[in-house]
Amino acid sequence: MKKEIPILLGLIAGILWYGEFFIAGMFQENQKLFFSNGMKIAGVVGVLVGVYSVARQNYYKIKNKNERYYAILRVSMILLMVFLGLKSGTSSGTPFSSMFMNVYVPFQATVFSLLAFYIASAAYRSFKAKSVESAVLLVASIIVMLSKIPLGGEMWGQIPVIGEWIMDAPSSAGRRAIIFGGYLGSITMMIRIFFGLERSHLSE
Amino acid sequence: MNNILEKLKKIDRRIIYFLVFLSIIIPLLPGFDFLIFPVPPTKETRAIFDEVEKLNEGDVVFIDWAFDPSSKAELLPMFEAFFKHCMKKKVRVFIYYASINGINLGKESVKKMTALEEFSWCREGENYINMEYIPITADIRIFNMDVDFKGTYKKEGKIFEGVETLKDINYILGLSGSVYHQTHIDMQIRFNYKFGLAVTAVMGPDYVPFLQTGQLTGLANGLRGAAEYERLVSDKYENNYYGSATKGMSSLTFSHLVIFGFVIMGNIVYFMDKKKRG
Repeated sequence: MKKEIPILLGLIAGILWYGEFFIAGMFQENQKLFFSNGMKIAGVVGVLVGVYSVARQNYYKIKNKNERYYAILRVSMILLMVFLGLKSGTSSGTPFSSMFMNVYVPFQATVFSLLAFYIASAAYRSFKAKSVESAVLLVASIIVMLSKIPLGGEMWGQIPVIGEWIMDAPSSAGRRAIIFGGYLGSITMMIRIFFGLERSHLSE
Repeated sequence: MNNILEKLKKIDRRIIYFLVFLSIIIPLLPGFDFLIFPVPPTKETRAIFDEVEKLNEGDVVFIDWAFDPSSKAELLPMFEAFFKHCMKKKVRVFIYYASINGINLGKESVKKMTALEEFSWCREGENYINMEYIPITADIRIFNMDVDFKGTYKKEGKIFEGVETLKDINYILGLSGSVYHQTHIDMQIRFNYKFGLAVTAVMGPDYVPFLQTGQLTGLANGLRGAAEYERLVSDKYENNYYGSATKGMSSLTFSHLVIFGFVIMGNIVYFMDKKKRG
């Protein structure tokens, strides 16, 4: 029964939710509310599972002297933010908000912005016309890159036009093919879950 | 010649980093405003602007904020320009945070915007609302939108008057640096809402097919999209409104040129080396 009940629940919920997508007015408003509230509760429980998982992971790291100091720092920061949030809330102007805006935001933005430097270095060393295919890619990428900056149009009026064509035609066609493949895979997976053939989500 | 070729082949990456750093930082320094270039708006960005222009006072716009500080440089200027536009049009704005890391960033940004003298009349719960975060998927929000998720504004919040589900919303703008908004695009076919998207430049090409099918009414692509939107708002409502995106475009332009230069140089070195080796 441990397996059958989740499979049955998945089948019923899947069919109902899928049906709602195609048949307008399949549910009354209060029935929709039942699903939406259920989803919210499931989401909140998911967050609790996440908190438990982080606490457990770090507990073992501290206990086993494996990256102990990083784990202590991580847990301390989490507890500090929880403390600040509980003490004075998370709204604007509170210590929690100040920590977030002045520590977390610059850290995360900095890590992401480092990409610009790596891309420049990697482009110099690797982006070379070693074959016809790579030459086509090189020319296309340079045109698209120039078409995205205001100076591109100033250099040659046709650069933005060609850049837009590359994005709208070849690039978009390739992307569309990937989307079709992805959705066919999703539909297959959905049917397998409906009929209990796919059980990886049940830890099997 | 051979010596130069060898040096160029083994150029220290710190030199590349330094030149990229200079190309980014110099245009942002005070006194370098002359490097700001006009950014002509594309039809994709203009489509978002035009949809908002069609709205009447009191209509409802839903902003789905799904980015965190890592995408701040590209998407925050777009949010600010869009929010400014909405306030100028006096439409009601609902802001939902699909990214838990974006909440404080969003709230601070809204606070900054509403602190401006021109928007001093804006009241939370009346003209705009921060709907906070709750871990739910897009389809749930579509069915149930009669309260902010803290429950604060259910009864007394004037902004909720006549807004219960997605059908009561006139325009939705998603801001994200991931594939998060794919669900919105999929469900657009079923519910036929008007949906525009502002994404990081790297995500832009992924969404072009949906623009062509009409599932997206507009697409603001990266920092350039934000700069275009700033220009559209500026042209329509106020002259010389240069937000951070317009300033950032000069930095972006020069960093692109530096990368372009390095790619060309890398290829010249490659072909010279190939010729030398026969």
